[in-house]
Amino acid sequence: MKKKIASLLLAGAMAASLTACGTGAGGSTGTTGDTKGEGAKASNELTVWCWDPAFNIYAMNEAAKVYQKDHPDFKLNVVETPWADVQTKLTTAATSGNEDSLPDIILLQDNAFQKNVISYPDTFKDLTSSGIDFSKFPKAKTAYSVVEGKNYGVPFDNGAVVACYRTDVLKEAGYTVDDFKDITWSKYQEMGEKILAKTGKPLLSCQAGESDLIVMMLQSAGGSLFDKDGKPSMVGNDKLKKVMETYASLVKSGVLIEVNDWDQYVGTLTNSTVGGTINGCWIMASIQTAEDQSGNWAITNMPKLEGVEGATNYSNNGGSSWAVTSASKNPDLAYDFLSKTFAGSTELYETILPKSGAMATYLPAAESKVYGEPQKFFGDAPVYSMITDFASKVPSNNTGVYYYEARDAVATAITKVVAGGDIDAEIKNAEDTVNFAMGK
Amino acid sequence: MIHSKNKLSLGQKQSRAGWTFLTPAVLLIAIMSFLPMIQALFLSFQTGIGNKMKWTGVTNYIRMFKDPVFVQALKNNFIYLIIQVPIMLILALVLASLLNHKDLRFKGLFRTAIFLPCATSLVSYAVIFRSLFAVDGLVNIILMKLGFLSTGYNFLGHPNSARVVIILALIWRWTGYNMVFYLSGLQNIEYSVYEAAKIDGASPVQSFFRITVPLLRPTILLTAIMSTNGTLQLFDESVNLTNGGPANATITMSHYIYNVSFKYVPNFGYAASMSYLILFLVAVLAFVQLKVGDKRD
Amino acid sequence: MTKGKKLFAYTFLIIISLISVFPLYWMMVAATNRSVDVTRGTLMFGTALMDNWIKLFGSQNVGTALFNSFKYSIIMTLISLLICSIAGYGFEVFHDKAKDRVMSVILLAMMVPFAATMIPLYQMFSRARLLNSTLGFILPTISTPFLIMLFRQSARSFPSDIMEAARLDGLSEFQIFYRMFLPTMRSTYAAAMTITFMNAWNSYLWPKVIMSDAKSITMPMLVANLTEGYVTDYGTLMLAVLICTIPTVIIFFLLQKSFAEGITGAVK
Repeated sequence: MKKKIASLLLAGAMAASLTACGTGAGGSTGTTGDTKGEGAKASNELTVWCWDPAFNIYAMNEAAKVYQKDHPDFKLNVVETPWADVQTKLTTAATSGNEDSLPDIILLQDNAFQKNVISYPDTFKDLTSSGIDFSKFPKAKTAYSVVEGKNYGVPFDNGAVVACYRTDVLKEAGYTVDDFKDITWSKYQEMGEKILAKTGKPLLSCQAGESDLIVMMLQSAGGSLFDKDGKPSMVGNDKLKKVMETYASLVKSGVLIEVNDWDQYVGTLTNSTVGGTINGCWIMASIQTAEDQSGNWAITNMPKLEGVEGATNYSNNGGSSWAVTSASKNPDLAYDFLSKTFAGSTELYETILPKSGAMATYLPAAESKVYGEPQKFFGDAPVYSMITDFASKVPSNNTGVYYYEARDAVATAITKVVAGGDIDAEIKNAEDTVNFAMGK
Repeated sequence: MIHSKNKLSLGQKQSRAGWTFLTPAVLLIAIMSFLPMIQALFLSFQTGIGNKMKWTGVTNYIRMFKDPVFVQALKNNFIYLIIQVPIMLILALVLASLLNHKDLRFKGLFRTAIFLPCATSLVSYAVIFRSLFAVDGLVNIILMKLGFLSTGYNFLGHPNSARVVIILALIWRWTGYNMVFYLSGLQNIEYSVYEAAKIDGASPVQSFFRITVPLLRPTILLTAIMSTNGTLQLFDESVNLTNGGPANATITMSHYIYNVSFKYVPNFGYAASMSYLILFLVAVLAFVQLKVGDKRD
Repeated sequence: MTKGKKLFAYTFLIIISLISVFPLYWMMVAATNRSVDVTRGTLMFGTALMDNWIKLFGSQNVGTALFNSFKYSIIMTLISLLICSIAGYGFEVFHDKAKDRVMSVILLAMMVPFAATMIPLYQMFSRARLLNSTLGFILPTISTPFLIMLFRQSARSFPSDIMEAARLDGLSEFQIFYRMFLPTMRSTYAAAMTITFMNAWNSYLWPKVIMSDAKSITMPMLVANLTEGYVTDYGTLMLAVLICTIPTVIIFFLLQKSFAEGITGAVK
């Protein structure tokens, strides 16, 4: 008897599932048609993909509010899409030639910008003569989204490098943050060793197997992994060699510790394992999650390479820019929206800064009062105007199409160098890897 | 159609019924898998950036064997396969037969606990494994307390130990999953068979090898093929635990294929050809396993 | 079992269970802590559960994601069990050379990494206007070689004398399947249901490619949303992960009795 009931139940469930499928599937396909239809018809609506509710999504929504003041019927639809998914969807849609599913505006990581525009030139709108004023942004920033002299992106957030220090740790060893301003890496290592001996804390941590720190150091001296023609320039690149030597020496001295992943890296900062860090200015948001360390942090510029032409104390890591897709039904609206907000409204940047810490690359915003306000967490220093100042001094970087390949190859090389490999041989291997990837 | 009065022999009738039974499933697989696979096969003979593809013959297939990263990935996949699959399947078998004992208590809890790892989200388990094996992680602390190590060892920073961590993680995650199939397969074995064997004086080990293993053969074959396939297509652990590092020492073929398609400058022709190599390898291994294990007595 | 052996068995099982459960415990701990304490490696329950809850439900549409995940997973599980069990049964019970060959060809379908077939599949679905739909979500994985083979392998133990008897009684082939096979194979169905539900629930790569509408978000997509951005809030993230894990665990716990202590002895 029991058996029978069980079998009836199962059979019943299956029958139900069949009908459920019919209605369920039918229903949702129907709605898809509807939403698509709406999107295509509405001439006052834009759809955007970006990924961080506390940061770029927030900024986008605030931009919509700014724009709505003059265009009350304007509608903005932000779809939260993680960066990895933006890239996957973009690649899938563009490769299969079905770009209808793409939104009007996409936020792209600067590191991936050229790769995408060159791989899928028909997918993005050329913004050069769209009425957006690109001269209001630093050249080093717009360079990420310029392909063959044409502008494809409106710069958004700032990746200017800051060196952050725990003032309480420095004090234990008799230093202040000013001792770290405008210094070289060997001076940094020397002071770092003393701090390590006194407090037991390394001065710097970074993620093993990632090239971020390497590329930051390289760019600070105006160096790149590619030359102007997009060919890999690693072998014979004195700057790269100097960077590798500096990095290996820092690891050897114990001043720089490598951890295995991002979570552990953030952990070293919030746990007080290290006495400082060097990264894009967006790292400050993670630092500030450790509220009990408020007032014990300070920022300054990063150390510079020694004996290398063009070395500076400024660099960049990360950042992103807005692109307009050719799938957009309302490109003119998209241009106008971007030019009146992210490329034209100081007010927008004043609104988003205090709540999200979204640092602008829009030059006029730097003169705003909001940027000059002292920040309690960072020892009452006006950190935002300091960063905008850093950003304006960053040398350009030739990312090229094969930037990710090159970064991974360099990361592999430095891992082997730290493990005892020969610098010249590993640089040669890295260049071979990139050349292999480029040889279609 | 069963009641149709046409003059078919019983055998023909049954054969027909059989085809009807499997048509929906086979048709779906043909459209959803084989159709895209054929397109991917064409793609594997083309090359180019993004959607600008041109024909190149077998260049991609030659290229992959000159690609040091791919060759490394191929080696890694085989290391994982050879070490991890047998350990995991044996452990799963042992656990399943242990948990099939009549007079063991709290079986439901044990079974759920052991199954848990494969239901646990990758996000949390990756974070935990990485922190367990960190230089100042729990594993190092224990090893140092026991006197095996004097200072913390960076497990994920050295090629061989990083591979060991990946293998441990795989065993941890998938043993319970395979155990499920053995448990359900064991239900088809009469418990009285074990009792009879016990009366005849067979030890538990003997009844494991003489009763459990032979009777579970169809299920063991299934799990062996699935695990071989899963390991050669391994992706999650390589991406989330080690990110392929240190210096590509743990990267898998699927991870590299993903990079070539979505992280690097997209080259779908090359990605497709590497995928077909995986197909070839798994197919050969599965064919051997079927030849050895798929017998009806 | 003797006492000594029993003690050994329990110790062994307890150790394995503890190792298996630890990450879930850690997840629960993390869900009750502030992000900064999670990165500091705490192992004690904290007091931030409410804050994390408010943050999670305030920033993400958890209700929609749960609803969608349940909808897709349940529909997928039921249909795919039906289609694949019929096929697996057909492959085994009516086996002949041709069908065995078809079976081995079908196995090929799972051997190509999804990254390679995704683009053609996407092309197909976008032409068929199935993007952002339930049908689009479930169709590619509704019939899997794995499930077919699972049922084929377990049908091997389905005794043929039962079938002969049923045929003499005048039952049609389909009636034999659903009156005799289906109830006796309860343990296989329960195992298959657990696994299929779990796979559907956790599926990520395909849904994220075809679902670009905020209304179609699933739990794994929601979790992914929380890991992006410059700052990761680990407390909130782990709460979401916990919510995402619980349904599979409950389903397993409810079904494990059926597949492990099924109807032993019913089939003779």
